[in-house]
Amino acid sequence: MSGNVGGEVRAEPNLTPLLDIVFQLITFFMLVINFSADNYDQRVRLPVAGSAKPIEGARAGEERLVLNIDRDGNLLWGGKVLGVELAGQEINTQAQLIKLNLKSAGKKLKSGEPLPTTIVIRADKATPFSQLYRLITICQTNGFTKFALKAMSAEG
Amino acid sequence: MRSKKFRKSKGEEVEVPITPMLDMAFQLLTFFVLTYRPAPTEGQFAMNLLPAAPTMDMNAPENPNQDQKPTDSIPAALRTMTTTLHANPSGNLGRVNLGDLEVQGMDELRTKLKEILSDKTLPFDQALIQADPRLKYEELIKVIDIYSDLDITKISFSELTDNGGGPSL
Repeated sequence: MSGNVGGEVRAEPNLTPLLDIVFQLITFFMLVINFSADNYDQRVRLPVAGSAKPIEGARAGEERLVLNIDRDGNLLWGGKVLGVELAGQEINTQAQLIKLNLKSAGKKLKSGEPLPTTIVIRADKATPFSQLYRLITICQTNGFTKFALKAMSAEG
Repeated sequence: MRSKKFRKSKGEEVEVPITPMLDMAFQLLTFFVLTYRPAPTEGQFAMNLLPAAPTMDMNAPENPNQDQKPTDSIPAALRTMTTTLHANPSGNLGRVNLGDLEVQGMDELRTKLKEILSDKTLPFDQALIQADPRLKYEELIKVIDIYSDLDITKISFSELTDNGGGPSL
């Protein structure tokens, strides 16, 4: 580790084990990093519910459209705050895109058949029901019938 | 092989400089530590909300594609338990009505619902929640939580109007 050459002291610590540990830590953080954080807007404070089931592994081919709704009932979408009217337009655009995707994949929806995409609603705990109800109605008008209401699990 | 030869002939060791690599690794580690946000433990209530339809229509036709249950022969209106949620001006939960029965708070609602659902002579297997427009989402989730806990997952919503009802989802 150290040597004495002509009165000069040279310290040569073995850095390899340290490097090993640092690489292991980097690997850990790379594996657990959440790249889909955009779907989880930090401005939305979810309510707490005891029987809210944790999200199981996404079913094969299941598509989800996450709607973050703030305390005033505005839709938080792509960094923008959209009122009900603009939110309606955006949801309509998304519905058209889903239909186009299905069409290009060779799956044709029958008239009146609901879209297979699940609307995940992440609403702030102070959001008034009227705003939530309007957005749900807009989604239904656009053919969505599968919904998931988000809440914090009690242990969280 | 070459290094061995080199070591033998000269008696020197080849030293790979580890310090720059360690510097870089520490920088990467710092980046990951600073950007790391643990995923919140979120849960969800899965629902299948059909498009607006007259839930209270006694003659509503049954969907032939759905699995038939013993209670399916009973009109949807008779199988639907209606919960009315009134709100105070601040948006918190006020009066709660379970059908025509007024209940006091969540605990009583849970108890009454348990009683009703344990009675096998009653056909209830779905719920309609009529909520005040001012009601906070937090309060609504509390009621959904109770229903979900009692295995009622077919829930529809309706906005409470001045005349006591509205179009259901």
